[in-house]
Amino acid sequence: MFLTRSEYDRGVNTFSPEGRLFQVEYAIEAIKLGSTTVGVKTPEGVVLAVEKRVQSPLLESSSIEKIMEIDGHLGCAMSGLTADARTMIDHARVTSQNHAFTYDERIKVESVTQAVCDLALRFGESVHDEDAMMSRPFGVALLIAGIDELGPQLFHTDPSGTFVRYEAKAIGSGSEAAQTELQDKWHSQMTLREAQTLTLRVLKQVMEEKLDHHNVQLAQVTPQAGFEILDEVRLKEIVDAM
Amino acid sequence: MPDGSYERPQQRQFNPYSENGGTILAIAGADFSVIAGDTRQSEGYSIQTRYAPKVFRLTERAVLAVNGFAADGNMFVKKVKQRLEWYRHAHAKDMPLRAIARLIQTMLYAQRFFPYYVYNILGGIEEDGTGAVYSFDPVGSYEREACRAAGAAQSLVQPFLDNQIYFKNQTPAPGTNHPTHLPLPDVLSIVIDSFTSATERHIEVGDGLEIYVVLAKGRSTQELASIGGLQELSTRAEGDRMFVIRRDLKKD
Amino acid sequence: MDHFPTHWGRPRNELDDQYNTFPLHQRPANHTDTFANGVQRTQQPIVTGTSVLAIQYKDGIMMAADNLASYGSLARFKDITRLHAVGTSTVIGASGDMSDFQHIQRVLDDIVTDEFTAGDGNSLGPAEIHEFLARRMYARRSKMNPLWNSLLVGGFQNGKRFLAFVDLLGTTYSAPSLATGYGAHIALPLLRQSIDPNPDAVTEEAAREILRNCMRVLYYRDARSLDKYQIATVTEAGVTISDTQKLDTTWDFAENIRGYGAQTQ
Repeated sequence: MFLTRSEYDRGVNTFSPEGRLFQVEYAIEAIKLGSTTVGVKTPEGVVLAVEKRVQSPLLESSSIEKIMEIDGHLGCAMSGLTADARTMIDHARVTSQNHAFTYDERIKVESVTQAVCDLALRFGESVHDEDAMMSRPFGVALLIAGIDELGPQLFHTDPSGTFVRYEAKAIGSGSEAAQTELQDKWHSQMTLREAQTLTLRVLKQVMEEKLDHHNVQLAQVTPQAGFEILDEVRLKEIVDAM
Repeated sequence: MPDGSYERPQQRQFNPYSENGGTILAIAGADFSVIAGDTRQSEGYSIQTRYAPKVFRLTERAVLAVNGFAADGNMFVKKVKQRLEWYRHAHAKDMPLRAIARLIQTMLYAQRFFPYYVYNILGGIEEDGTGAVYSFDPVGSYEREACRAAGAAQSLVQPFLDNQIYFKNQTPAPGTNHPTHLPLPDVLSIVIDSFTSATERHIEVGDGLEIYVVLAKGRSTQELASIGGLQELSTRAEGDRMFVIRRDLKKD
Repeated sequence: MDHFPTHWGRPRNELDDQYNTFPLHQRPANHTDTFANGVQRTQQPIVTGTSVLAIQYKDGIMMAADNLASYGSLARFKDITRLHAVGTSTVIGASGDMSDFQHIQRVLDDIVTDEFTAGDGNSLGPAEIHEFLARRMYARRSKMNPLWNSLLVGGFQNGKRFLAFVDLLGTTYSAPSLATGYGAHIALPLLRQSIDPNPDAVTEEAAREILRNCMRVLYYRDARSLDKYQIATVTEAGVTISDTQKLDTTWDFAENIRGYGAQTQ
């Protein structure tokens, strides 16, 4: 499919005659190779779930970290080149702490999402005296979940720096099937428990392995407890009840 | 020395500060806030102008009073307003009062080693609809209070407020308690009396008085109906409302 | 002129002679400076101008300043113009250091040229000039390297008068009548008496007479002043800066003064 593309996919900052930035599009393709990640928003909070691909029986599955805390009221799940996400989440955490320091309030979910996306297009050749930039686009997409004065929210960001708010969103290799399933099953008055079950069911459908509490990770943001990654005990309970 | 040289280097340090007199004052009610300042600007014994505002509207529900070195004060207000606009663009909302208070602290402390020679008092309505007053020192220490006076006549006005607002040295009648918050008409009377008294007793206070009144959303404006020199600043009748009362003070 | 009784009888210091009159480097220091050997970018006025007066009146604003630039108590330059037109609707008047004032004139003239070259139909009015000067003066004081002046900015644009003050600290204010330096003590009370109640009632003739009278009082009382002065007006018609005028003064009363000097009776 890419064979016909010519010299316009070389320079990261070169538009093709059709007005496309191929490197950014390839980066978006990279996400489709990542493990499936699902987010669901409910009036009670937001749930994030990821598949952990355990490639070897010797691999300690607890060391795979695909959901991270940004702040007490903000969490983030990723798919794609997860190492790239570290830069973005670092930036999100600093932005969030700076906001809390300067304004004595929790940053809005959209604001922290915007801050992360501001990083996304800072790649290419840097001009003399300019801040050193990145050499290529990020190869990762994020689902940013959080709660602020506007209630629970879920945002999706991609390597082009675009962000969109979703009620429920799936990214990664199984995202097409998963998104269709979410469209089918999501409704606006879902409880948090229903959302937990839904995310796991969706993951189960697109995963090759059999889903258990070792190869998925579940996190949620609620008004009561803020962001939390569910421990194995709570996860197992949900998996068993599924 | 006879040969025209000097015994030792002659140095005269340029003093980048001045003190421009005047007094500011703010009192918080349960669901309103009153922020006031006189309009005289002076240097030494000279009156520079009889009308230089010291109280500024920041948002629909926040007012900042600035007292001390006027050039620093005006620059500081300008920069606060700029930060409020940036915040509005970045976060699609007006900055809440307590966020403005913290911002003012960070902005003042950023100048810790060349301070804005300015005492700030911030008044308005909090997110929960309560009236609030925050007071600051020139390098950013701040706290939320029920009332505060600052400036040339602070030493005259603050004890009066301690007595009238906090009921210091007053014993309640047996079986009763002092109220935590005073009604708006009482507060306005106290503010006006504070400034007429300060004008009598302090040469740097006088000429004009500007009293900003911020009322929480849904609160009746009834008590302001009979107030002279009243002007509404808010554009929407729903939401918080803001008024300014302009009065003359003695000019001598 | 010192209003502070605690200063009486003590050596002069910068507080009672802030902009004018006496070169500070020739003045005895009245204290030792802890930082005398440190690096300082502090400055002092050398060749100075004394008061500037300005009022609002019916048709616009009027400003006056004498033609003297002093070197301490020496009347060094006696044909200096301290009023300067900026564009077509603003005039500024300067007291304090004359070389700093010439720097300000150059900066403002450059801006006016740039603005003219842009040819976009916009012209800087008095409010913009004043704001610019205030920013520049404040920026320089914040670098501890002030422009040692007190400036009055007056103008008339879009049917409105403008009159404001800015000094070496960046302090600004506006009023119907303004004066710098000695004028703030001696002339301003007279100006306020005749202007402040109702500037609109003051005709050009009356305004000119009020300023002339104040310049005369200042010449009698301010030892660093001159009897030659200029008056600028800014009205709908634009800026005019008059030729040098001479004050008519009377000194014959001096003969009748008794009680000091050589006279005993």
